[in-house]
Amino acid sequence: MAIRVQLDRILAERRMSLTELADRVGVTVANLSILKTGKARAVRFSTLDALCRELDCQPGDLLAHEPGPGDAFDTAED
Amino acid sequence: MHLPKLASIGIRAPRLTGGNLRTPNLRTLGPGSVSSLLKIALDVAYILLALITGVLLLLWVASVFIPLDNLNVTVTDGDNGRQIPLTRPLLLFGVGAMTAYFGGFLMILRGLRKIFRTLTLGDPFQPDNVRRLRQIGLILAVVTGGVWVAQGLVAARLAPGVMEPQGVSDLLTPVFSILVVFVLAEVFREGARLRRESELTI
Repeated sequence: MAIRVQLDRILAERRMSLTELADRVGVTVANLSILKTGKARAVRFSTLDALCRELDCQPGDLLAHEPGPGDAFDTAED
Repeated sequence: MHLPKLASIGIRAPRLTGGNLRTPNLRTLGPGSVSSLLKIALDVAYILLALITGVLLLLWVASVFIPLDNLNVTVTDGDNGRQIPLTRPLLLFGVGAMTAYFGGFLMILRGLRKIFRTLTLGDPFQPDNVRRLRQIGLILAVVTGGVWVAQGLVAARLAPGVMEPQGVSDLLTPVFSILVVFVLAEVFREGARLRRESELTI
């Protein structure tokens, strides 16, 4: 997946832990961890909205597109 | 073209509001529901089949030792019958075939009960259920094929002219059932993939 979630960097800048962010956003720590480690397949707009609100940032600060050589042939299945 | 309003031509249509509409009195969840009736049916059938298979298995083991002096067995298709001497291979084959038949359906019911358990837990689209459905399809195929072959053997060797072998047309319904099960397995596979996608949607 070419989309990178830069949660680590923003959490460090805001000096917030993953657990605290999970509590504020209303998502489990496990799910946020899935997001942080790049294993998520999709993000709901409502989740993105809550993340941007709590981290006081824009979606573009959280998400980056980094295409690699094999990304064009990624399939939906794991 | 404008159609006249009902009121202007003296017709009063009934009001179809929620209070006037009655849904069928059949629940799909909870006590007395379709699911709970199905669960009861599966459990009862499983216990019965387990008992029958257990008894047949014991009989099959006992068949190795019981004396068979001057015993005959009648092979019949309902109208015509023929007596043949009961030999040990014949007894073992007959009891063994019946044990395999009921044992096959017992394994199918075991798989169905496990699938049903995942349904009651609210998570039926699991990769395990795909594997279970394929196994059920395979067992059905083996049992169907086995019955077809066994009946053919009995008709050809033991009671020619008395019992007719199953024709290919007799396989139509079982083969379609097997196809349905395998198609359902593919549907569940796609369901499991969508479930996985949904799990990974934050």
